[in-house]
Amino acid sequence: MLNRTTLVSSSSVSLLPNSKPFFSVKAFSGFRSSSFSGGIIRRIDHKPLRVMTPNMTPRAMAAQQLENADQLIDSVETFIFDCDGVIWKGDKLIEGVPETLDMLRAKGKRLVFVTNNSTKSRKQYGKKFETLGLNVNEEEIFASSFAAAAYLQSINFPKDKKVYVIGEEGILKELDLAGFQYLGGPDDGKKQIELKPGFLMEHDNDVGAVVVGFDRYFNYYKIQYGTLCIRENPGCLFIATNRDAVTHLTDAQEWAGGGSMVGALVGSCQREPLVVGKPSTFMMDYLADKFGIEKSQICMVGDRLDTDILFGQNGGCKTLLVLSGVTSISMLESPENKIQPDFYTSKISDFLSLKAANV
Amino acid sequence: MAPKLLSSTNFKSLFNSVDTFLFDCDGVIWKGDTLIDGVSQTLDLLRSKGKNIVFVTNNSMKSRRQYAEKFRSLGLASVTQDEIFSSSFAAAMYLKANNFPKDKKVYVIGGEGVLEELQLAGFTGLGGPEDGEKKAQWKSNSLFQHDKTVGAVVVGLDPNINYYKLQYGTLCVRENPGCLFIATNRDAVGHMTDLQEWPGAGCMVAAMCGSTEKEPIVVGKPATFMMDFLIQKFGTETSRMCMVGDRLDTDVLFGQNAGCKTLLVLSGCTSESNLLDENNKIEPDYYTSMVSDITKLMDSP
Repeated sequence: MLNRTTLVSSSSVSLLPNSKPFFSVKAFSGFRSSSFSGGIIRRIDHKPLRVMTPNMTPRAMAAQQLENADQLIDSVETFIFDCDGVIWKGDKLIEGVPETLDMLRAKGKRLVFVTNNSTKSRKQYGKKFETLGLNVNEEEIFASSFAAAAYLQSINFPKDKKVYVIGEEGILKELDLAGFQYLGGPDDGKKQIELKPGFLMEHDNDVGAVVVGFDRYFNYYKIQYGTLCIRENPGCLFIATNRDAVTHLTDAQEWAGGGSMVGALVGSCQREPLVVGKPSTFMMDYLADKFGIEKSQICMVGDRLDTDILFGQNGGCKTLLVLSGVTSISMLESPENKIQPDFYTSKISDFLSLKAANV
Repeated sequence: MAPKLLSSTNFKSLFNSVDTFLFDCDGVIWKGDTLIDGVSQTLDLLRSKGKNIVFVTNNSMKSRRQYAEKFRSLGLASVTQDEIFSSSFAAAMYLKANNFPKDKKVYVIGGEGVLEELQLAGFTGLGGPEDGEKKAQWKSNSLFQHDKTVGAVVVGLDPNINYYKLQYGTLCVRENPGCLFIATNRDAVGHMTDLQEWPGAGCMVAAMCGSTEKEPIVVGKPATFMMDFLIQKFGTETSRMCMVGDRLDTDVLFGQNAGCKTLLVLSGCTSESNLLDENNKIEPDYYTSMVSDITKLMDSP
């Protein structure tokens, strides 16, 4: 049987009008009937699969629509799931998720949840999963709030130094659990400043790191405090939980994300931060090390190309894009998009409905 | 060529080759609301010698009219509104020069100065300082609304920055077709008070870049947009102008980009060691400690 990969990727597979194709269409699994015109093969039940023609610019191997779910499942030992747009949307569970996770566990797969959302701690996420009726352990959850604390631990950040936080409760809770002293957080959202002669804003010289993430209580006081620490405290670290431009706080629309707060600090400090969340591979390296897994044995499942899929690719694992979140099929197929996951499908419950193909 | 320390040997040649002096304000004329020593005498002296004086500031918090008032309150009553070119004015002029439709609105993340200049130019502004009191709500059934007729978002220095404004501006740029993203300037920090530096417009602009994934059109220094107005006003070549400022990547670069002579003063955000640091690639023609050195050097033989 012809390997589908060859069909999709290579620009050497050119279907010029009137030329004889070098593969047998009937051998291509998943087809019920085959007919094609020009460069498009029409598939009943599925979206048209675009084949490279000589006029198209060759680019990264195009994503394949997931056909044989069992094959993918059997080829990996661990599934890493993003949360927003994959497991839930806002506070609503996506259809078919509980049964899918149960099926994967029954097959002996390890499940891990990696989210860039730093507003909650892993414990608080554990509660969210529980409320939605999902059987997930706190130890299986890796939020970027946890990642920030884990990063500081991994570099032996001194316990006598402090961390200034521009972000929400999740970060504060994780720093606390890891035994670090922190300043800032949501309370600084109430602080006002008055720019007048003789006014001096003091800052703690013991702050050795500023952690910046999504912050709905963002204000000038915090920006100045963080800026003073980074610019004036020798060796002060500038850490970002993530740089997502927008986020789905509610399922109805997009909201300015952590990338905005981090951007502000980059603008005033003229320094780039160390990013601990996706697409940086810090969390991938952390859990591969913690659980003793080979990266090639992992499949990353997410809804966002520039964080989830890039994270998976940077980490060297398989990648599956789901269309149940922020990315649509037209965004995936747009000529401007340079990030191609290995596979794509509508939602994770497709694992249950897609069976091995009949020829 | 290495910057020359302004001294009695080179001062006269600079002075005689220039008809118009362009002064930055923060860190050159004043620091916050405190006038820098000797500035008043120096400006009077230059005027008495027949030189033209203009002020080019990236600080968009005030309009030209409000800046003229500030000059007056600091004892510099001779400065008139039309000698002041603030980035708030530049933003309104940019929209005018590009025929921004009068039926479209402008969302402002910034101070009153921008709103006033927009109004004077005949545009409708939304946002500004009063949105500093607004809070976003994020419940499942409520939608954060934004005006779909906003055709441009202007971002400048905003000490009242908050999540509401970032979200409003982000939705306009991402969802209103063709919506412009304009920055008054991108200064990282500035002397908003006399005792220390504070985050500048560069901070608010970068926040918006972070959420919109777009780069803005910059109207303030070092972009030379404002220079077109200056050339029109004086009808002289830029080589007969000298830009006097305290910041290398805005003031001096602006002067260089426009073909003016450049004089860096060390009374603001740049120190001599910043200037002479080997990593610094921007070299003004001359440098000196402060504006009042001009008076001292004028009197010397």
